Formats: sequence, structure tokens, C-alpha cells
Amino acid sequence: MNKISISLNLNGTDRTILVYPNRRVVDLLREDFKLTSVKEGCSEGECGACTVIFNGDAVTTCCMLAGQADQSTIITLEGLAKDGELDLLQQCFLDEGAVQCGYCTPGMILAAKALLLKNQSPTEAQIKLAMSGNLCRCTGYQKIHAAVKSAVVIYKDKMAQGGESID
Amino acid sequence: MWYGIGNTGLPNPAAAFVEVLGDATANLMFGAADIGQGSGTTMTQIAAEALGLSYEKVRVTWGDTRVTPDGGATSASRQTLITGNAVLKACEQAKETLAGVAAAYLGCQPEELEFSQNTVTKIDDATVTMTYKTLMAEMKAAGKMAVGAGYYNPTTTTLDPNDMSGIPYEVYSYATTICEVEVDTETGEVDVLKVVSAHDVGQTINQSMAEGQIEGGVVMGQGFVLMEEIEVSEKDGSIKNPIFSKYIIPSNLDVPEIYPILVESEGGPGPFGAKGVGEPALIPIIPAIVAAIEDALNVQFTKLPVFPKDIVAAVKEKEAADKNKNN
Ligand code: FES
Ligand code: FES
Repeated sequence: MNKISISLNLNGTDRTILVYPNRRVVDLLREDFKLTSVKEGCSEGECGACTVIFNGDAVTTCCMLAGQADQSTIITLEGLAKDGELDLLQQCFLDEGAVQCGYCTPGMILAAKALLLKNQSPTEAQIKLAMSGNLCRCTGYQKIHAAVKSAVVIYKDKMAQGGESID
Repeated sequence: MWYGIGNTGLPNPAAAFVEVLGDATANLMFGAADIGQGSGTTMTQIAAEALGLSYEKVRVTWGDTRVTPDGGATSASRQTLITGNAVLKACEQAKETLAGVAAAYLGCQPEELEFSQNTVTKIDDATVTMTYKTLMAEMKAAGKMAVGAGYYNPTTTTLDPNDMSGIPYEVYSYATTICEVEVDTETGEVDVLKVVSAHDVGQTINQSMAEGQIEGGVVMGQGFVLMEEIEVSEKDGSIKNPIFSKYIIPSNLDVPEIYPILVESEGGPGPFGAKGVGEPALIPIIPAIVAAIEDALNVQFTKLPVFPKDIVAAVKEKEAADKNKNN
């Protein structure tokens, strides 16, 4: 098998890499780009631990091949904090105590982020649905839901005061 | 529910080391593994409180067998009680040296001093006071070091093999869980709507994390009752459903509204009166859900999980029995 060249925008930077076409995107991110916030839980698209934002959507990278990432835009958790300042969602997860073992957390935050990038005032039902593909064994989901809700409220307040956009 | 904290009828100690450094920060080391329940944070809080330093001034190294003392397993709801007490003892030992030097500097007795918020103050005279930094400079001048090592083993006895008498646990946690369910008698589906879970934790060390433990336990217990069954092959003992597409656990769409209540009773033997909540968080929801289903259907279930097919079968059986009775 020959390696293929993949070019993508990864956390705001253009990157090109040679990989075997059967490499999974989760391995490309974790091993080739050392973005270890991307977790592998089930390897079959069921748990959401490997979620990234791929061309604006939350997708699971354990079921994607590297070729699919060519010419794409990917955001991982490492791409959220700006100049050492946490993303609003990250801060709300901390403030609400929504993190226990942390294994689901990157996927949870990115699933929420992908939602908020499209819909800046989601209803509770929309939040739940958008995050229903992400399993958590520790928290019981309640504090995670509270964290996303509080991010929505804070964001709305900021916008009302003429703040900047969510990304 | 009442539930014992620590290993059953066995010695199960844990230890901790601490050193307060020249810049009035502390290094705390213990073996207890944090698997998300928050023992790293809890032990830091305990050390900060015991030494009178602010939380940020305590640096933690945990679960590194090169340098940390044994903490035993993170199991049996035991780390807050056992490693927590070990941390407290280590800090008290370091504080004894600190208090001696502070008392000499401030011209009073060590017992008259309070360590709090990075300051040492005479309890009945707030004007007699020194900062921790000054204290550490005095320590250095005196050639003394503020180090402590502590370990704790809960008071238990082995159980008599003849009648199982003895003291299996130093302390018990108590809990009551109430839940409301809706059962669809046609499909057998159960919606858990609301759960109130009240836990006597002794003294709470960290409210948000204790609540998180309870909420997580409720949802794990819900899965245990309604969804999760490990299928084992009779041929070779292998697990037949080791993947999430065949072993379904609760998602955020399944979970009820959960109201955790922390009941602070007095006198837990852990640090500041704490007990433990790890397993107690999980257990009482299980019979509570089953009891709620039984209450809704007026039938009894004797094995877990209770799947929709079991409910449909039980409903049919009951209908048939009722019919017979009426005929
Ligand atoms: S690891 Fe990709 S969904 Fe579980
Ligand atoms: S925090 Fe452990 S799986 Fe979600």
C-alpha cells in the first residue's frame, strides 16, 4: 500500500501529512498529530469519546479513514482555548463540576460546541439530542447538561452586551 | 440502605507524606488513585485546611509508586475515610514542628495558635500574628523542616468464620432513595422520571463532587436495573456482548431528574467527620426502581435486569391469573 498525502486545516493551521489510506482519523489525530484529547472508547461509533468538529459537524473519528479528512477542517479540544484562555464551554464544565474521570469530556465539549456554532440559543431538548451520542459513565449527565445550559445563558448575556461571536 | 465503608473485616491502611516548603507552599504525596471521583481534589482540600494554607498552595503528587506511599485500592468507598485520615495525620505531624517555632516567635503556647489562610494567629488575640512566609523563614533560621508522614488503618476485626461475628467496618453510610417511574404495560418500557437520593456522608468535603458521585451512581444503577446484562458464553466463558452496541448503558436521553441530598450527620471517623459515598451512591437506586415498577404493576420481580420483555411477560401472566380468579 502506498501512502497518500492529506492536507487539512487542523485547529486553525494548515497541515499536510503522508499516511496510509487505511489509517483511521482517530489515529491520525492522536498519534501523528499528538492531539491526545481525542479519546478512543469503543472503536465502533457508539460512545462519542473520539468526537471532533469536522467541517462544522460533531463526528466520531474512530469510524473515519484518513482519506476522508483530506481538504477538511477539523477542530479538536486543543483548538478551543485561545491565548491561554479557556473556551466558555470549557470554563462552564469546570464551574459546574461536569468532569469526573474526564474520558468523555473532550467529546462532550466538542459535541456542544458544534451545536452552539450552528444554533446559539438551543432549547434543552436540542442540547440533549445533540449530545445523546456521547456516553458518560461517571457523572449521570446532569452536571454536563447544566454546564452547556449555563454556557448558553452566559453567551446570550455577552451577546446582549455587544460581545463577540461564539467562535 | 446502610453500607460499610472500607474493606470488609480486613486491615486496609493507606499513607501520605507532606512537606511545607520555604515559600509557604506544601508538597503532598499519597497513593490513592483518582479515577474521577475527585480524591486528588479532596486530599488537597484536607491538607490545605489542616495546614492553614490556601488550596492553591498545596501541590499534589498521587498514585506514582516511585514516590508515593501505598494508598490501597480505590474501592470500597474508602479513600476519603482512609487516605483522608492519613493526609490529616501527616499534616498534623508537620504542623507540630511549625507550631513550636511559631509559638516561640509569637511568645505563646503552640496550642494557643490557629493556622488559617496562610497566617498563624493567636486564637484569643488577633494582633499576635505572623504570615506563613515569616514562619517558614523562622523555620529556616532554626534549621527545622516541616515534614510529616501519616498512615491510617480503620478499626476493624477479622470475622469469626463460625458465626461471622466481629467488626467488619469502622463506619457505615446511610442512604434513602425515592424514585418515580412510568411503565408502558404494552411495550414494557420503563421511564425513570425523578429520583431523590439522600446520603448521610458524615461531613461533606466537596459538595459538587459528592453530588456528582450520587448522580453518577443513580444513572449507573438505572442501567443495572433496566439495560445492562453481561452475556457469558456457556461454551468458553467469554463475554458475548463486550461492545456498546450490544451492551447498552444509559445515555443522556434516558436519565431522570436527579435530586441529590447530602445529609451531614455528626461523628464520621474520617477527616473533619467525613465518611464515604462511592458505592452508597449506586446501590439504593436499584431496589428503588424495582420497587417502583412493582408498585405500578402489582407484580414482583426476583432477578435483574428487568427488561421490557420481562415486564410484558409479567403483565400478561398477571392478567391471566386475574382472569382465572374472576372466572
Ligand atoms: S471511540 Fe469512536 S465512538 Fe467510541
Ligand atoms: S466523566 Fe467519566 S465518562 Fe464522563
